[in-house]
Amino acid sequence: MEEQVLALKKKHRIAVAWAQDTNTIGALYKAVNKGIIEAILIGDPDRFLLACKALDIDDKLFTITESATETKASSEAVRQARNGEADIVMKGLVGTEKFLKAVMDKENGLMLPNAVLSYVAAIEIPHYHKLLFITDPAVIPFPDLDQKIVMAEYAIEMARRFGIEKPKIALIGASEKMSRHFPNSVDYAVMCKMAGRGQIKNCIMDGPLDLFLACDKKSNEIKGVETSVNGDADILLFPSLESSNPFYKGLMLFADGVLAGLIRGTEKPVIVMSRSESEMSKYYCIVLSCLMA
Amino acid sequence: MVLKNLNDLKRIVEGGPRKKLVLAAAQDQHSLGAVIRAYKANIIDPILIGDKEGIQNICEANNYDITGIRIVHEPNTDMSVELAVRMVSSKQADILMKGKIGSSVLLKCVLNKEWGLRTGNLLSHFALFEVETYHKVIAVTDVAMNIAPNLQEKIAIVNNAVGCLNKLGYTMPKVAVLGAVEMVNENMEATLHAALLSKMNQRDQIKNCIIDGPLAFDNAVSLESAQHKGIKSEVAGDTDLLLMPDIEVGNVLYKSLVFFAKAKVASIILGAMVPIVLTSRSDSEQAKFDSILLSAAASR
Repeated sequence: MEEQVLALKKKHRIAVAWAQDTNTIGALYKAVNKGIIEAILIGDPDRFLLACKALDIDDKLFTITESATETKASSEAVRQARNGEADIVMKGLVGTEKFLKAVMDKENGLMLPNAVLSYVAAIEIPHYHKLLFITDPAVIPFPDLDQKIVMAEYAIEMARRFGIEKPKIALIGASEKMSRHFPNSVDYAVMCKMAGRGQIKNCIMDGPLDLFLACDKKSNEIKGVETSVNGDADILLFPSLESSNPFYKGLMLFADGVLAGLIRGTEKPVIVMSRSESEMSKYYCIVLSCLMA
Repeated sequence: MVLKNLNDLKRIVEGGPRKKLVLAAAQDQHSLGAVIRAYKANIIDPILIGDKEGIQNICEANNYDITGIRIVHEPNTDMSVELAVRMVSSKQADILMKGKIGSSVLLKCVLNKEWGLRTGNLLSHFALFEVETYHKVIAVTDVAMNIAPNLQEKIAIVNNAVGCLNKLGYTMPKVAVLGAVEMVNENMEATLHAALLSKMNQRDQIKNCIIDGPLAFDNAVSLESAQHKGIKSEVAGDTDLLLMPDIEVGNVLYKSLVFFAKAKVASIILGAMVPIVLTSRSDSEQAKFDSILLSAAASR
């Protein structure tokens, strides 16, 4: 991913709301150093300077816009993106809710008309043979059929930016069987047919599939289930936030996963990360947003 | 193997043992005509239950030779149906056929909990059409029995029909789930059901057939039309069985095939212990004969 972005040889301007924690500034510094971004830090200048000093970073590398509160800083970051002063918006030490409120503001926000706001993440896991995209680990609690379709489309679009022309997308359930006791399996069957009929484009889709069938070829052989994904999924679509969120956090905690994620449905890339996320994950998010910008 | 025309059904029953067919309320001219013709063709052994005098009068008037055919005298039509059904449930007959009596009376007896023909399966109507403009016989279900089947009922209807087609020699019949369009549309329930049935088939939850849908009627029966639309489907253009979304669509299709396309039709009720010939009173003698033929082939 990093290589692809470096190859773009383009500097994107990132407006960061309330960027005064060391993790965020460290990540931004890394990206500035690599020459992929120019960063505009919006917030309290004194606290930027403190953070820069703590990290031993030259504060002259950043543009600073003064703003008095988290809410104002969020609105200002969004405003800069709307006016074309910035290409990407990033959340710093602001609460996610406050930040998203500015992004989703009907008049002054960044949402595409009638778009569904959702989140796609790319995860690098040492034990999987390629990048794994997952949706939606952060925004939609219980996606309905329409939302699932959009989630799939966002993830497909992102995977394609990574050069995967026809990503394999597995719709995750507890089993591969259809059952009316699992309403998600019903949505999945409908989506598969839509993909078959070209109503969802540019993908190979199958589901319901359990995680083994989605990501492990051997399981397909043992179970004798014929699936077009065949243990080689590029994208996992989860039925709920409560399944996807622990999945990605489990990978980070127990399987050395590194994650980069983005909000989708906006006019310009919006980076939202948990405040406790590592500098490396934040850096990867910045790189990803450059790829998607 | 597929059937090119309804006459091919004869090849299936030929050489096999004659099936015992019991005709309830037998005093009906078209039914008697068809039954006796099938008897002469060595397809069935009939048992006629009903008003003996009435039966004999019709046969005399129409020159039907009933020598050697067993007649059970029961002038009360309700009782004659009960008797016929009891004969089947006690294994004395292989096929049940409706004579001069309303379908609802017969079905009520079929569904009787003590001596009826229940199997736990849903009853459904199954029809075969021979249409000049299609390259083989096409089966259609359900055009007469289930009004607005839900998903579970559609699964049962498909299973009934596929079971029957398997008996007729189709190892993997191609099933098209009919819709108004070939795309999935959330506002058209039939297209959603079609998607679910396809997936269940893919996962081997509906066996012994290949299901695709939704397919619009033209895509289902015309390869050219399917290719024109760019539909990738094993079924499109070569459908063996059409699954109807509901009875209105099914009934209109059935009648338009018969009236406008001059199709020949054979039909039976599936899902009971034995096939039931339940043609409408207005059906031709030929249709009744072909339905008997179908029931004999399906009761193997």
